[in-house]
Amino acid sequence: MNGDSLRVTLGRVGRRLREDAKTRNGKLFLAGATLSLLAPAILTSYALEIFMQLFIVVLLVGSWIFIAGYFGIFTFAHAALYGVGAYAAVLLAGELGVPPLLTIFVGGLAAVVFCLPIAYPVLRLQGAYVGMVTLAYAEIIYRGTIIFRDVTGGPTGYSGFPALFGGDRLVMYYFVLVTVAAFMLLQYGLLVNRFGLVARAIRESEDAAQMLGNNVSRYKLTGFVIGSGIAGIAGALQAYTILIMSPPVLELTQMIEIMAMGIIGGPRTLGGAVFGGLAVFGLAEVLRGLGEIRLIIWGAMLVIVTLYFPDGIAESTLNLKSRLKELVDR
Amino acid sequence: MVSGSLVAQQVVNGLLFGGQLALIAVGLTLIWGVARVLNFAHGALFMIGGYVGFFGLQWTGNLVVAIVLATVVVFVVGWLIESVFVEPLRGREEFDIASMVITLGLAIFVENTLLVGLGSQRRTFPQLLDAVWNVGGITISAQRLLIFLISVTALGALFAVIFYTKLGLAVRAVSQDSDTALLMGVRPERVYAFTFGGSAALAGLAGVLLAPLYTIYPSVGWSPFLLAFIVVMVGGLGSVRGTLVAALALAVIRSITTIWVASETAMVVLFVIMVAVLVVAPDGIGGWLEA
Repeated sequence: MNGDSLRVTLGRVGRRLREDAKTRNGKLFLAGATLSLLAPAILTSYALEIFMQLFIVVLLVGSWIFIAGYFGIFTFAHAALYGVGAYAAVLLAGELGVPPLLTIFVGGLAAVVFCLPIAYPVLRLQGAYVGMVTLAYAEIIYRGTIIFRDVTGGPTGYSGFPALFGGDRLVMYYFVLVTVAAFMLLQYGLLVNRFGLVARAIRESEDAAQMLGNNVSRYKLTGFVIGSGIAGIAGALQAYTILIMSPPVLELTQMIEIMAMGIIGGPRTLGGAVFGGLAVFGLAEVLRGLGEIRLIIWGAMLVIVTLYFPDGIAESTLNLKSRLKELVDR
Repeated sequence: MVSGSLVAQQVVNGLLFGGQLALIAVGLTLIWGVARVLNFAHGALFMIGGYVGFFGLQWTGNLVVAIVLATVVVFVVGWLIESVFVEPLRGREEFDIASMVITLGLAIFVENTLLVGLGSQRRTFPQLLDAVWNVGGITISAQRLLIFLISVTALGALFAVIFYTKLGLAVRAVSQDSDTALLMGVRPERVYAFTFGGSAALAGLAGVLLAPLYTIYPSVGWSPFLLAFIVVMVGGLGSVRGTLVAALALAVIRSITTIWVASETAMVVLFVIMVAVLVVAPDGIGGWLEA
């Protein structure tokens, strides 16, 4: 990409940002971002921790939507790659003494490396088959963390790694906020440009996209690798936020959680990650005392959203009249 | 060096286990083959079968009644899942993914509702038979043999229905081309509901039959589901014959690998086999068997 096309690309991102800022969701996101910047002045340190985790969840779900929602690659390996990023980061920092800040990006690279073995079948297969093969791969990685317990600390977890920024949680907060915002913007920038158009074309019809002269495999591979790498970065951030890393982070339940957030929030748009994160993770925090009841609610939400709001919260209006009309027309 | 008799023992164990696995996996492959639903609630149906059998046994005191009750109740549950939750999704562009998500949502909902309502404790189910035979140095538990025989009978009954009845003809017609079947006077939504019910009934039957081995608790279905999932992928989604062969083969592979490695690693071996098969032949071994 030369200087001119880069300028065109960035110009388009700026234009789309200004346009999107005027929509309902755009206004909500702007308000949310402003609040997040000011949050440390208002909130308790416990609430800040929750906010940090929420940001990370948004990035994680956003990168899943990037792959699953835009390309139609319904991957189940996302939680596993998120875990790989987390383990890579903390093990490098804890065992080899690599500076923690650097390990976050190494975590992303590790997730990229680990997504490559499954990339070939993911490019070849379609629809539910992609889900199956990635589910199997995720289970292999998950069981691997238990089998190699000498390295990963096994089920009890691994916590012997240094904190980021010497344990200063305020700096950590802004670091998480800025990193998440930067990677969300990166994905946004890609999606409003040609890359995103091709991605959606692939989702709608792979053959048609190929016929129009797009190298479908290369686009799919790029999308899968970028999304998986971002999951690894989210994992590394998460490990430094919660200060312990254990296998349940990459278990199937975690994947179901990511999926639930993506689908409930809105799998067709990056903004769905924010709504899904808030709805599911926020609710989980509010209902923390209720234990399994929140899982009942998630299960029910997955069913209801799939049946009645296939585009998730982000793209549903609360216009009751039109909703009722739709329901009657069905 | 591993002795021959140990390997023989593991092969026998594997074959018996393969029968159980086939019972769970055939239901999973059937509903994909006919209705294109990858049913993530299959494990939950297995679990429901266990609970219905458990309470049925408590109320009636009769084991046979409990087993029949579990099968019938889970058949009805499957029928309802199809007609209430899956049917409205038909016609959507991404039906295979939407149906996968909705059955997953149902599984989580049911599992956690039971967890809250009945608690997480493992309920034990009485052994069906206690005898253990020793044939030429190989021990065979009568119970496992009985489960194997019931599984084979149930699968045989299923085959008979599919290949020799009018209903089975309708099922095969819909699985090949639902539009043409509709023109011939077959109502696809009924066939889907019946197939989902039948597939669920197999899971429910497996749930109660295996309850003495697995015990009964809300998340009991996930491990058999994952195993059946591998079997179905290797056998070829929708191919009943491939699934049967894959169930026996993978069960034997699994029990032989556990001679040397932990069961955790054996699972990894199975998953690797599954990914390899999907890469080489996305339609599984069923494609070769039926060609």
